[in-house]
Amino acid sequence: MPGGDPAMLGSPAVHAMELRKEYRRTVALAGLSMTVGRGEVFGFLGPNGAGKTTAVKLLLGLARPTGGTAMVLGAPAGDRAARRKIGYLPELFRYQSWLTAREVLVLHCRLLGLPRLSWEREAGAALETVGLTGRGQDKVGTFSKGMQQRLGLGVALLGEPDLVILDEPTSALDPVGRHQVRAIISGLRDRGTTVFLNTHLLEEAEHVCDRVTVISKGRALASGTLEQLRRRSAAVRLQVTGLPPGWWQALDGFGRWSAEGDWLRVRDLADGQVPDLVAAIVGRGGRVAAVVPEQQSLESAFLDLLGDH
Amino acid sequence: MSTAGAIWTIATLTMREALRRRLVAALAAISVALAGISAWGFYRLSHSTQVTTGESNAALPLAFILFMFMFSFIVALSASAIASPAVSSEVDSGVLASVVTRPLRRSDVLLGKWLGLAVILAGYTAFVCGLQVAVVAIVSGYVPPDPVAAGAFLFAEGAVLLTLVLLLSTRLSALAAGVIGVALFGMAWLAGVVGSLGDSLHIPVMRTASDISQFVLPTDGLWHGAIYYLEPSAYLMTQLSQDGGQNPFFAAAAPAWSYLAWAGIWLVLILALGVLSFQRREL
Repeated sequence: MPGGDPAMLGSPAVHAMELRKEYRRTVALAGLSMTVGRGEVFGFLGPNGAGKTTAVKLLLGLARPTGGTAMVLGAPAGDRAARRKIGYLPELFRYQSWLTAREVLVLHCRLLGLPRLSWEREAGAALETVGLTGRGQDKVGTFSKGMQQRLGLGVALLGEPDLVILDEPTSALDPVGRHQVRAIISGLRDRGTTVFLNTHLLEEAEHVCDRVTVISKGRALASGTLEQLRRRSAAVRLQVTGLPPGWWQALDGFGRWSAEGDWLRVRDLADGQVPDLVAAIVGRGGRVAAVVPEQQSLESAFLDLLGDH
Repeated sequence: MSTAGAIWTIATLTMREALRRRLVAALAAISVALAGISAWGFYRLSHSTQVTTGESNAALPLAFILFMFMFSFIVALSASAIASPAVSSEVDSGVLASVVTRPLRRSDVLLGKWLGLAVILAGYTAFVCGLQVAVVAIVSGYVPPDPVAAGAFLFAEGAVLLTLVLLLSTRLSALAAGVIGVALFGMAWLAGVVGSLGDSLHIPVMRTASDISQFVLPTDGLWHGAIYYLEPSAYLMTQLSQDGGQNPFFAAAAPAWSYLAWAGIWLVLILALGVLSFQRREL
């Protein structure tokens, strides 16, 4: 586990309570509450314009909330000392184009206050981690977008941060680069570093995240492990015949349902409720010809969540 | 990282950028070209058989002041050009987001940028003043009485504009900040001309407007400080006896200490406003 103030180590990596951000008439965040535990790889999922980047900016102190509070590494969001232990890859990753990649990394070592003797070692290790070893002496201005994003990731990893905030970290990367980023995130998890992964790419979250929060229109819709998220919107399809008038009363207390011909689709069933549902239908005189559990992908769970709100 | 360390880190980064982007080289090249042209002019003026030695002695200081006016304009334009993108362009491009999320204060970032830009401006002003003095001394033998003090005033004039444009850059686009800065500089100079005209035409309100302008934006007041230290005493006496020195390229006296103190306070206030504005800016 990376070092840090012992008093702060017990606190969550991120804790937001009713965080709000309004830009004149636009509500970017409408009371976001969430907690990210230490050492987690946390996925912050949402469609474009959901408020993900706004939330990240508030957590880093780049913008001020209009309501609510946020604590990062046990300190108020934007706290200068806490920023020493945070690595950040912005969504809009741009670095001094007139510096070489190695110079950018050394600059950030200086800004972090790392010992001078460690600068070259840190820069070299970061270049190697992100696959830019041979390009350290090249000007950033000559880099492709993908290479600049790799460099940004290297910058975020300097100084063994306790929390790494990655805002859409693979947006400019090819499949090989994406795979490498996943490996880097796994490495961070193994080291005990908290990773806050801001993404709209569900596949990315599916590969690396321990837990996710889904956000839409500036509000958290659901939080949990990916399995919990899938199960939350899991559905069962039943082929039912012979139900008398008023049959739907048999479904009271069994989640939300919709009917199409002989087929019923029931969502939000609690664990182990399927036998009870079948018994209730049979008890009302219905005949259940088939029970088909629907396999929910993260994508359909995500779309269901967004559709419900 | 200590505050001084953070300011110095940003200042050296700013200076390196100016050198790497060849901004300093471009300014130096154009200054050398202009000084070369002035060499020809000063040589002709000092070696002409059509003018008497007395006429030549009267013309050389004025010609030198006019050339320095041109360089003061270049210094002011350069100050505006280097300060206008310093914050706004880096905010727009996203470069600053990765810097200000490091454990340093926003005030350190802005003060570091100001320091770096001010050092560049000081270096350029020293170079251009030294070059012009050397070129004129070589071709004509004329040396103004106190070129170091004049250069210091020229730098102060540029630093005032640099500070104002840096403040504007914390809120406006680079283009808007630069254009507004140059326009205000031009208006302040024009207000100085209006004051001279008011003296000639005996219209006190024009002098009052000019004086107020010199307090609102002290660039022209400081430029007149530079003029004063470029005037030999014989030239000064002649000008005063001829027309009371009522022309925009003449200064009858050095700026008062109280005025210099105000210029210093003005600069600190505008810099503090810039820091406050940048601290409150959402990125």
